[in-house]
Amino acid sequence: MLNINNLKASIDGKSILKGINLNIKPGEMHAIMGLNGSGKSTLANIISGRDSYTITEGNVIYKGESLLDKSPELRALKGIFMSFQYPVVIPGVNLTYFLKAALNAHRKHRGEDELDAMHFLKLIREKIKQVDIDEKYLKRAVNEGFSGGEKKRNEILQMITLEPSLSILDETDSGLDIDALKIVANGVNQYRTSENAFLVITHYQRLLNYLKPDYVHVLIDGKIVKSGDMSLALELEEKGYGWLEK
Amino acid sequence: MTLSHFQIEFEKMINRDYFSDKIHPMRKEAFSKFIQNGLPTKKWEDWRFTNLASITTKEFHLSEVKDSPKGTIDLSPYQIEDVDTIVIYNGHYLESLSSTPPGLKLLSGLEYLSSKKGTFENSDNSPFDLLNTAFMDSGIAIIVEPNTNIKKPLRLLFISSGKNHLMVSPRVHIDVEESSSLFFIEQHVSQNSESYFQNESVFISVENNSQLDHIRIQSNSESTTNMANLHVKQQADSQYSFFQFADGCTLGRLNIYAKLKGEGADCALNGIALSTGNQHLGHHIIIDHKVPNCTSSQNFKSILQDQSSGVYSGRTIVRKDAQKTNSTQSNKNLLLSKDALMHSIPQLEIDADDVKCAHGSSTGALDDEALFYLRSRGLDILSAKKLLVHGFVSEMIETIKHEPTKNSIHSQLQNWLIHYS
Repeated sequence: MLNINNLKASIDGKSILKGINLNIKPGEMHAIMGLNGSGKSTLANIISGRDSYTITEGNVIYKGESLLDKSPELRALKGIFMSFQYPVVIPGVNLTYFLKAALNAHRKHRGEDELDAMHFLKLIREKIKQVDIDEKYLKRAVNEGFSGGEKKRNEILQMITLEPSLSILDETDSGLDIDALKIVANGVNQYRTSENAFLVITHYQRLLNYLKPDYVHVLIDGKIVKSGDMSLALELEEKGYGWLEK
Repeated sequence: MTLSHFQIEFEKMINRDYFSDKIHPMRKEAFSKFIQNGLPTKKWEDWRFTNLASITTKEFHLSEVKDSPKGTIDLSPYQIEDVDTIVIYNGHYLESLSSTPPGLKLLSGLEYLSSKKGTFENSDNSPFDLLNTAFMDSGIAIIVEPNTNIKKPLRLLFISSGKNHLMVSPRVHIDVEESSSLFFIEQHVSQNSESYFQNESVFISVENNSQLDHIRIQSNSESTTNMANLHVKQQADSQYSFFQFADGCTLGRLNIYAKLKGEGADCALNGIALSTGNQHLGHHIIIDHKVPNCTSSQNFKSILQDQSSGVYSGRTIVRKDAQKTNSTQSNKNLLLSKDALMHSIPQLEIDADDVKCAHGSSTGALDDEALFYLRSRGLDILSAKKLLVHGFVSEMIETIKHEPTKNSIHSQLQNWLIHYS
């Protein structure tokens, strides 16, 4: 589904990614672990289309097509979703309206009829139950007055509503208490199928205990220095990152 | 329009037999003051950012009988459900199209003058107030008698029309007497109006324990000029709430002078200005806290496209005796083009020591983070921008208490956004 080949990227002339190679197949969940500044979020942002980076080398192929020349909205419509590390507050834009506009943009792209308000509300009332969001939030502005945990659950709500093929979870576990973490993990696990793929970016193995990724990669200074399975995450938790740095 | 041209029009006015000579002394006094000072220039502190070229480069004429409507006029484009409307067309009161809510007292300017024993409130705060007194034509006084709650909103609908370079000077007095309330809407629209100068003065008095909601919709056509001089006096425990939605005119300037004269008065002033092309829309506000324990708020937002420009100048004065004043000023502006220009000047003058006064101002482009967030959910860039622009002001519109008026303003905002690209 996603092939990243020797991807090198910089920001303001500073080299961040120094040759990333990664293959993600349908049904797989990959986790990328690493310390702050290792380039994890940069990788997530480049895949989802944030334009503040300069790609100096390499390419990203998604479902057989080059990704890097596409707008963020087109990537989204083609099935890429990123759960933001810092979800953005959108003053004055009602969450229901926003979700409906986003879903209908997807439906239109797929050649389906747009959902009217009534059918959309029926759908979204089912979805919010899965991530334990109270209905009153649907009337609020997007992320306005949401706690840290509510913002992250709202990201997962958007994921399960838009039904992407590739979901990137950028530090979705940061700032979550254990209950919120379980809700988020549960939301993600319910959405896992043999068709969907995930790229989970995190500092800690805590979230991974619930998600049980198929592959774990360690990113240090812009390069994947080690790949393995879940046992690598446990090893990192025990020994830290020091033993991998040279 | 030069001063000598104003002089010619003034002579015409004075010599018209259908204007009562009872008001002539008042007109003459105001006009001679106006001529002494002249029109403001950019050297006048309060007029630094207001370019009056749309007035000075044209020759305007008084509205004549021939400028009243020929045949019927279609009011359906300005339909607002559940209001009574008084229609003023090029300065002419159209009685047959007008209605007023039950319980409300409506007087002509002249009737109001005699009810006030020959003098009514004037202001020489600005040359345009003087000009209004000199030329006032469509004089209307709206009176809510004591202990009367007018349930149905009253709308004044001002229609400008034609190619005759008309100058119209509406004069409105609103007295909300003790323990009464009114929901008042003034709406300014154009029908094929190519050149028009409206200079309106409104005098509002909100007496003890009374409440006035005032909505002003300024959607004149692009080549017109709209000067609004709004004077508000509030007595004890009165509430005045003002909301302007402005998207019309080449030059639209709103001047508000609000005086809080009775303890416990609350004054809330809000405005949204949307400008494109070469439009200039200004909000110039003075709130004067004269007595203790009053609250006031100013909340103004401008959205500017192209090379349009705007002003927010808000001054809150707290007099020495006005202890326990609580006042806020907020001005937020969204620049949608590199060539758009906004002047934001919040000011506080505080002579009391036990007060709470806050002010804030911010001007910027659309938030890139928010834009990326929306796009990453599949919204195309234009839809995402429109959603953010809409969100920037929609919460203010939501505060309008009269549902049909709120919906009408919402749809005007939507219409404005259709042309945003």
